[in-house]
Amino acid sequence: MRETPLSNCEKEFILNNIKEHRRLDGRNAYDYRDIRISFGVSLGCCHVEMGKTKVLAQVSCEVGQPKQTRPHDGVLFVNVELSPMASPAFEQGRPSEESVELSRLMERCLKESRCVDLESLCIVSGEKVWHVRVDIHVLNHEGNILDCSSIAAISALAHFKRPDVSVQGEEITIHPLEEKDPVGLSIHHMPLLVSFSFFLQGKYLLVDPSEKEEKVMDGKMVIGMNKHREICTLQVTGQNLLLKDQVLRCSSIAVTKVTKTTELIVQALENDKQARLRGEKHGFAEQISSEKVTSNHWRETQVKVKEEVMSASGGSGAESEDVDSDMEAGSGDSQTDAARLKDVEPNVDIVARGVGAIGEGGASRWLDLPKTTQTSKNKGKLKRSHPEETEVKQEYDEDSEEETQTVLNGVQ
Amino acid sequence: MAGMELLSDQGFRMDGRKSNELRRIRFKKGVFNQADGSAYLEQGNTKVLAAVYGPHEIRGSKSKALHDRVLINCQYSMATFSTQDRKRRPRGDRKSQEMTSHLKQTFDAVVLTELYPKTQLDIYVEVLQSDGGNYCASVNAATLALMDAGIPMKDYVIACAGSFTRETPIIDINHLEESSGGAEVIMAILPRCDQIVFLEMNSRLHEDHLSAVMDHVMAGCKDIFNVLNQQVREELVRRTVQDSLVDSG
Amino acid sequence: MADKRVGNVFMPGDVLEDLQVSESVKKIVLGPGLIDDGNRIKISKPGILRFREPGIYWIDCHQKRYVPSKGDSVIGIITQKAGDIFRVDIGGSEQASLSYLSFEGATKRNRPDVKVGDIVYAKLLVANKDMEPEVVCIDSYGRSSGMGVIRNGGFLFNASLNLVRKLLSPQCALVKSLGHRFQFELAVGLNGRVWAKSKSDIQTIAMANGIMASEFMDNNQIKAMCKRLSRAVSGMEVE
Repeated sequence: MRETPLSNCEKEFILNNIKEHRRLDGRNAYDYRDIRISFGVSLGCCHVEMGKTKVLAQVSCEVGQPKQTRPHDGVLFVNVELSPMASPAFEQGRPSEESVELSRLMERCLKESRCVDLESLCIVSGEKVWHVRVDIHVLNHEGNILDCSSIAAISALAHFKRPDVSVQGEEITIHPLEEKDPVGLSIHHMPLLVSFSFFLQGKYLLVDPSEKEEKVMDGKMVIGMNKHREICTLQVTGQNLLLKDQVLRCSSIAVTKVTKTTELIVQALENDKQARLRGEKHGFAEQISSEKVTSNHWRETQVKVKEEVMSASGGSGAESEDVDSDMEAGSGDSQTDAARLKDVEPNVDIVARGVGAIGEGGASRWLDLPKTTQTSKNKGKLKRSHPEETEVKQEYDEDSEEETQTVLNGVQ
Repeated sequence: MAGMELLSDQGFRMDGRKSNELRRIRFKKGVFNQADGSAYLEQGNTKVLAAVYGPHEIRGSKSKALHDRVLINCQYSMATFSTQDRKRRPRGDRKSQEMTSHLKQTFDAVVLTELYPKTQLDIYVEVLQSDGGNYCASVNAATLALMDAGIPMKDYVIACAGSFTRETPIIDINHLEESSGGAEVIMAILPRCDQIVFLEMNSRLHEDHLSAVMDHVMAGCKDIFNVLNQQVREELVRRTVQDSLVDSG
Repeated sequence: MADKRVGNVFMPGDVLEDLQVSESVKKIVLGPGLIDDGNRIKISKPGILRFREPGIYWIDCHQKRYVPSKGDSVIGIITQKAGDIFRVDIGGSEQASLSYLSFEGATKRNRPDVKVGDIVYAKLLVANKDMEPEVVCIDSYGRSSGMGVIRNGGFLFNASLNLVRKLLSPQCALVKSLGHRFQFELAVGLNGRVWAKSKSDIQTIAMANGIMASEFMDNNQIKAMCKRLSRAVSGMEVE
């Protein structure tokens, strides 16, 4: 499907704001969005949300033959699927270039860094080993699917447990889950990917770019690191030219990010384990609130305003009143500004009304066309409002048979 | 792989080089007469051919044309006889596709793309023998091919791969050193402005060593650049002398 | 007189029997979401039944994807220059065509200054399901009447179709309360695209976020949110 192109207006706006260290959702340059990790009922299933980007990872295993060059090791497969439901840019069918790049990066991060102990997956050397498969599905693309995928993959691997195997001479028994408790994979370390995006010939740097920022960026650098400060993978892509100290600066930023995220993952794993032990309900169904059918709500993003913390985007009704009261306390100097604004006459003028109809042609698809629309043709006049008054340019054509809103009972 | 050490106590590697020595480089430009530009490059035992066509009309769908820049189309292919075990698929597998997109990004950043809007530039690379450093040899060969075709670029793009073993960074690694499991750092830079066009790192490397390895690899790139530059200049001087002989005669 | 069921929620498949007709008008117009099935009126979209004088009924359905319809004012993005026309993306299934002569003061010699990637405020001249849509930036008298290329910065963002219709209604509480506190310019396209520009970038971002968040708020919540927004913004600017 064709994606909506990025207009010059949006591009300039985003770049100008980046020059002044501002982002569209109010974050700082090195801030991650809100990360939420949840696990499913089946072992090895993990869903990660980073802002609105959603990724699901599932780990599964089966018995198979080892690789010829490594007869004592299990095999790990990593696959990233860019589901067409995630973005209009993703197509069904052959994996696109982007999907190959993502898969390769995830492969390098997980396989070549040897985070999972593959030797422990061997059942009979040279004949039977465990094949572990990590399938990552991107469900919604709102920027930075790489970081989200890596968190999902490593959490899923840590969450996963394979069936227990016992070997007696020539006989191999794979115990089903009811007989013996499954065994977890042994994970040496947790490599996580951190994406940095560069703007304006590498002068400005942002962590965790959103979708619009990704469209505007010059280039990207991905660093895979674990909390012991070992770099597991590093890749610079895009059309920017970097200097060595930029790379080193990014790697030191990555250290802090990775430590924090690793703590988050460990915490989430712990919560899930506790929930299972106590026999509480767990899984995805618990994450969805059962009060409404629609999930139409926004999580508040905290934007720091001097010492006050307030939300830049609205939330559900109850929360807004609480924040309002917080605001009353600390907004001393803004009172004068508010007072000054109140003096201005709230006069919302319509600058230009529609002055003529475009020539009609062709039959209307609606059943019948009442003749009332002709009278308003000559009514429009251009009102020039004073500069200090608020000015609203409303392109409001009265001729059109458009669905004008007759709001009857207030908005639902 | 027990018993095989990448760096001996005296500081020699498996093939007798020291830690900061390059492999032997030999190259030739203009090997094909159909292509607009071509080059053949050998780095040790790695042998690579590169051919450049363009800038020419966009082939295939016109919708892929970029209205203000040239579209760079790369293809990286490994001959079936290039590796120890015969390769079933010369191109189209994941690693080749990744390599292709890396080459494309590298040259997108270096070629002056605004000069040829709505056109296409093809870069074809074929690896005849693979002994480590495939990406590096491909980039170096493609740079020479682009120069042979007369495409304007910001600078040479030189790539070199390095690793880190026994507290020492080693550069220009061959296949054995690549597959031994140590960290691998591949860099492509513009040697005269010290700017990094492409950087990739595999396996694990502690953050403290990153700076040292990067410095060594950049020095390696500059050495390769000196070798290539010297010979290219000599050839160019010789050709100019020949031309002036023809004119005067 | 509106039918007493106006304002109720209906689902696809529901039947409206005996729709009330006003005395002055003999015919009623069935808008989007209502289908005349023989002698019954059936609902095809889930939503709230609305009415407008003198006799137009329609279903107000939540929708994000725009379907071009004649006479709509939309914000489009120029994607291509092809000979005498521009290709404009208006969010529908096909790109619309915009002739270069459809600008105020444009002649064969005097071409308008439009580049790929610019945004234009235009009106749909031709939009039916069988043909490629066509937009113009002038009215039938040849005047631009506010349409044309939108220049000088500002910020473009997307909203659902319901939100833009709400913004365009004369009683919109959101625009009024934002107008109390900010100075801004707003261009609303019926294809779900909104362009906003305010005195400073901080105000623009705050306003855009406020508009996007107000989709599911009622009027009181909107007023409270605008109050908080203006305080926060003036707080940020004093810094």
